[in-house]
Amino acid sequence: MTAIDLADAYRTMAVYRRFEEAVGAAVVTGEVHGEMHLGIGQEAIAVALRAMLEPTDAVVSTHRPHLHALALGVDPVALLAELLERSGLSGGKGGHMHLFSRDPQFMCTGIVGASAPLACGDALAQQRRDPGRVTVAVAGDGSMNQGAVFESMNLAALWRLPVVFLCEDNGYGISVRRDVATAGQLADRGTPFGIPGHACDGTDPEAVYAALGPAFERARSGDGPSVVVATCYRFRGHYEGDADTYRPKGEKDDWMSAPRDPLSRLRARLEAAGVPVVELDAADAAAEAEVAGWLEAARSVPFPDVDRVRDDVYAAPGARQGVRA
Amino acid sequence: MNAAGSDRRNGSQLVAETLHAEMDRDPSVIVLGEDVAELGGVFGATRRLRRTYGDERVLDTPISETAFVGAAIGAAQAGLRPVVELMFVDFLGVCFDQIMNQMAKARYMSGGAVTAPLVLRSAVGCIGAAAQHSQVLSATFAHIPGLKVAFPASPGDLRGLLLTAIRDDDPVIFLEHKWLLKTRVAELPFCEDLSEPADAVPFGELRRLRDGGDVTIVAAGFMVQLALTAAEALEAEGIRAGVVDVRTLVPLDREGLVREAAAADALLVVDDDYADYGMCGEVIATVAEALGRGAPRLARHALDVPIPANRALEEAVVPSAASIAAAARGLVSASAAQVPA
Ligand SMILES: Cc1ncc(C[n+]2csc(CCOP(=O)(O)OP(=O)(O)O)c2C)c(N)n1
Ligand SMILES: [Mg+2]
Repeated sequence: MTAIDLADAYRTMAVYRRFEEAVGAAVVTGEVHGEMHLGIGQEAIAVALRAMLEPTDAVVSTHRPHLHALALGVDPVALLAELLERSGLSGGKGGHMHLFSRDPQFMCTGIVGASAPLACGDALAQQRRDPGRVTVAVAGDGSMNQGAVFESMNLAALWRLPVVFLCEDNGYGISVRRDVATAGQLADRGTPFGIPGHACDGTDPEAVYAALGPAFERARSGDGPSVVVATCYRFRGHYEGDADTYRPKGEKDDWMSAPRDPLSRLRARLEAAGVPVVELDAADAAAEAEVAGWLEAARSVPFPDVDRVRDDVYAAPGARQGVRA
Repeated sequence: MNAAGSDRRNGSQLVAETLHAEMDRDPSVIVLGEDVAELGGVFGATRRLRRTYGDERVLDTPISETAFVGAAIGAAQAGLRPVVELMFVDFLGVCFDQIMNQMAKARYMSGGAVTAPLVLRSAVGCIGAAAQHSQVLSATFAHIPGLKVAFPASPGDLRGLLLTAIRDDDPVIFLEHKWLLKTRVAELPFCEDLSEPADAVPFGELRRLRDGGDVTIVAAGFMVQLALTAAEALEAEGIRAGVVDVRTLVPLDREGLVREAAAADALLVVDDDYADYGMCGEVIATVAEALGRGAPRLARHALDVPIPANRALEEAVVPSAASIAAAARGLVSASAAQVPA
């Protein structure tokens, strides 16, 4: 297996961070009026996933989905437009927790644990048609306690489905700490089903890449599913606007300090390896400019047509006849 | 019609205070659910309970709705009175077997030997979070024999119906509208005088909150508050609109509904749950069955699609004071057109 290109990873992670910050800012401006969950602090996982994915692979994500969509290569402008409630990926009907792309094959759900069964089905459908293709089921640490996830692991093992169960373990499900909610080790969750598990440092793209490697290889070669658990920390509240009083200040400060922040940590590492500071600064500036460009393009995407609000419930408009007052 | 004065509390505080009082009164009451202990609930409706009653009676659960809702049922059958929180009602799908097959039917299937006296509290309604976090789903519960369904419309009923729910010997689904939880009681169109301690409000007795004449609007939950605002606006146009709060979908005060309908020229049922096969149809069928040709002109105004993410789309489908007023206006002019000359 080849190594991940860390300079490229840095550039991409800088884009991911700027992207999420731009979305956060759009909550403040009121361009987003619903709940918004950001992946700031979790960029190293997405960037390693990006390095592993082929364009024909599929990802089924969660309520914190943006970086996984970017990692798969979903059109960033269509993505951003949807987040801004414009006629983007889901026509303005889905919004940030309900993003759907056919090519590449991406979807997500607001129901915790619901990604895993969908990923199994996607893998089942593709298994014969396109051997070697992988479906990634993203999960949070909290979602690993849903029956649907256990059931899916059993199914995936039984049917040797090419699924990678990727758990982003940021230590919390809203306010509930992992040790309050979760018995045993997350990476062992597949063990009773004979599914190998790999735990890794989710703040280090190289470590995540190394853990994903055997999982993808196993899936691509038709040997079945794996579990990968990447430990990280969410830098923002559970949602934008969360008072986030349940996490100790010292804990937050520690995880978000320069030596542990995945972005600044990688930057320091590249600097130490001799990458010139100007180059890294240029990467930061390029990330800033790229996201600004996407934002401008997204803001010119039209809003959805209110007259079509009742379309898309069924295949044919008006399939459900009804008389309304 | 707001008697709350300068009360700065919101609905979630009233729920928390009521839970506090009931836990104090009855040691068999326990509270469990996601984020209810450390955080005190995502809306704050279980705030400070753990501080008073400790880990043994206030339990943060894993995100495992089947397991913890089911465990609440089992605990109720074994003698506790659990109040279990399903954070958003949309998550019902995860645990619906436990609710419809275990919770609802234990008494009947055991020939009355086993009861499940628990309350399932859940936040409902749209505050802007699209198709999977905005539903009401009241009719989904009300459809299943064995479940009682309370849907408070006001701060006073948040307290009074919750007391009844906890003391009831059957499983009760207690639906808390998010706007009712979040809004300061003094800012609502309608609020009772909350200065006295709460009294239990009996199930199955609707109330008329406003006298009408031209049209009577029947609703539940926060739609009652919006209907009152709509009625105010209609009055300025010369349309006298009454407002009736059903309070509990199960038991449903059918006699009261028929009485109200018999006295009205037109009856509009409003719901932010889905229109089809729901409360609207139930109320209208009840009235039509009882009054036949003597029934007033009947109509419904409710949600007919999943809730979209974009704000303008959302506003186009979720009932509001303005859309309720428009529906009532349309109904009144249609009935006027029908009156023989
Ligand atoms: C079935 C279901 N239960 C509860 C929720 C509410 N909820 C949304 S996110 C969340 C926490 C999820 O934690 P985790 O899986 O660790 O993901 P994270 O938010 O940490 O990324 C909860 C409880 C939900 N959306 N769906
Ligand atoms: Mg988590």
